[in-house]
Amino acid sequence: MGFGRYVTARVLWAAVVSLIIVTVTFLLLSAAPNPAVQRAATQAALQGGDPAEAAERARELRGLNQPLYVRYFDFIRNVYTLEWGWSVSRSQPVMEAVTQALYYTAQYSIPWTILTVILGPLVGVYSAANMYSWKDHAATGFAFFGYAIPNFFFGIILLLVFGVWLEWIPITYKTGVPVFSVQNAIQLAIPVFVLVTGSIGAVMRVSRNESAEFQNADFMKTAKAKGVSPLRAYAYHVMRPTLVPLSTTLVGQLLALFLGASLLVEVVFSIPGLGRLTYEALLAQDTNLVLGTTLFFTFVAVIGNLIEDLVFTVLDPRISYDDR
Amino acid sequence: MATEESERFDKVDWNDLSRSGRFDLSINSIGMLLTALPLTLLGVYSTAFTGPRTATFEFIGLEQNLESLDFFFIFTLLLAFWYLALPLYQNPRMTRYYWKEFKRNRPAVVSLGWLGIVFVGGLVGPLIMDPPQQQLLIGYQPPVFTSVVDTTPATCVGDVVNGRCFGTWQHPLGTTQGGKDVFTMIVYGMTISMQIAFITTTIVATIGISFGTLSAYAGGWIDEIMMRFVDIILSFPTFLMFLLILYIYGAGLGMFIVVFSLFAWGGTARYIRSKSLSISEEEFIKASRISGASTYQVIRGHVVPNAASSIITQLTLLIPGFLLAEAQLAFLGIGDSAVPSWGQLISAGRSDLSFAPWIVLAPGIVLFFTILAFNFLGDALLDALNPEAEAESE
Repeated sequence: MGFGRYVTARVLWAAVVSLIIVTVTFLLLSAAPNPAVQRAATQAALQGGDPAEAAERARELRGLNQPLYVRYFDFIRNVYTLEWGWSVSRSQPVMEAVTQALYYTAQYSIPWTILTVILGPLVGVYSAANMYSWKDHAATGFAFFGYAIPNFFFGIILLLVFGVWLEWIPITYKTGVPVFSVQNAIQLAIPVFVLVTGSIGAVMRVSRNESAEFQNADFMKTAKAKGVSPLRAYAYHVMRPTLVPLSTTLVGQLLALFLGASLLVEVVFSIPGLGRLTYEALLAQDTNLVLGTTLFFTFVAVIGNLIEDLVFTVLDPRISYDDR
Repeated sequence: MATEESERFDKVDWNDLSRSGRFDLSINSIGMLLTALPLTLLGVYSTAFTGPRTATFEFIGLEQNLESLDFFFIFTLLLAFWYLALPLYQNPRMTRYYWKEFKRNRPAVVSLGWLGIVFVGGLVGPLIMDPPQQQLLIGYQPPVFTSVVDTTPATCVGDVVNGRCFGTWQHPLGTTQGGKDVFTMIVYGMTISMQIAFITTTIVATIGISFGTLSAYAGGWIDEIMMRFVDIILSFPTFLMFLLILYIYGAGLGMFIVVFSLFAWGGTARYIRSKSLSISEEEFIKASRISGASTYQVIRGHVVPNAASSIITQLTLLIPGFLLAEAQLAFLGIGDSAVPSWGQLISAGRSDLSFAPWIVLAPGIVLFFTILAFNFLGDALLDALNPEAEAESE
């Protein structure tokens, strides 16, 4: 199989996966009673009307009385044409709510991703170069600490120390400040720090163990014998082969953390981003918005995995396309 | 020191090793059957014959009630005893070897001790300790050896010196806003954590191993379909799917365990498949095939034991993820509020953080140490159980 065919197959596969996830979501939704219909029935009963009739009217209004397959195709079409409906709790289209929230999520997740991707392998390789020294032990200890401490718990503690006791950072996030300002940097420093400690540990461990293998490889010995400076030797001969296996796990780990932890961190630091939007939609029983945010995260995950696979094959020419 | 008499080749009882009949069960399986049968009967009795509000042991006059989750938990404990603890006792030579290898990793030994405390505390604690009681009068008691301004608690249980209320051994980790003892709540949370750890591990291992071997031995297009299915399972955003299920149906701890373990076995299945494919090429498999071993015997006797070290490591490293997810959901307040887990306690104490930090700190630190311990344990088990991995890394 050539490269072009592999890419096509992989993209098609990503489309199939996203379709399956959307289908499962639809089945879950259609199998359960709709909260909006129940609300309508309850309201009718409270006002002395007929709950069954009100429920029927609410179902008709939302097109729920149509056969399942019609609703399914409608649903699929709406999802893929980005017609994600109207958010009742926020009185705006779901798409608009998602883009607005994305603006705040991006402000902390872009620095977080950049820091993890750059610092993780650097510290990992440095740690491998000084293996079993105190620097290595310190880095390993830090990695385990960051990996094991629950992000939301760490966030609360830091907020208590720096926000309440020392009063260095504002306790609640201010939305009005410009993106590139000292104020914004100060209020985002702690969330970014918490997320980086959570994600950097795994990256550090993998790059340390992978690069340990290349330290004493023949090509390293040759490089040293030729008199290549240590910096150049590590940058060219150790870092590059380390990045290949690292890239297979990196995207997946970052995504998993992004999906789970960003929700918690946004709730803890009251950042009005995507995670908080999902959370508030859940509490407000706003079906369209819950669906919209979860689908958004799902698509990010599917596309992320796709990019990871493609980048991996481009980076590592040793991979044959036949046995992925 | 007398040298240990090692097993000699001519002393091996070959009849004992090559059991042929399908109904010729080992002592472990007999024990498992004998203990699991009464449990199943009790479970059936509890769900089918007693009302939902009557306690399971009412017929012998006990107040103790068991939920379906508890039955499953006991079942996994029996599995662990008959197929994990007892074999270790039956093979003292291997156990000593594993322990020797394991002991070299000091943090792992400490971790094992800590997890032992959590395990025993979770099992025995709820039996000997009364559930935490709401006592508004003694809310916000500080932990022992610390003190707070005496206006914080309504009444101080300990001594009041210079306007500061000191903690007592009655409430070693202090109390919450409602006067519930934090230490008792943490012990009750241990049970929840152990239930999550044991049940998810059992489900993941069962599905993963059967799916992986089936896929490898079916081959061809069945294998292809099964592996693509694993791909889908792996790329499913579990946390979000659970949020969606929670939103639509509402979900308790049982649902949490089922959903998270049903989406976590992908990695295990993939690993088992590649291991069975690679191992079926080995000479000793061919030899046992020629001697007439069935596919089941090959899988049971060679594939699974060879993959066991990596599976155990993988499972150990999965558990902290589950514990974390549960704590996160409980913290958000959208988990099962009836379950007294650590996350629940953290979220309960969050609003009082500035003047009563122990309510958040105590369960948070316990959670942190438990997750850390599982990570260290996974690392050490890989080294102890799999000498090949160590040889490769050197």
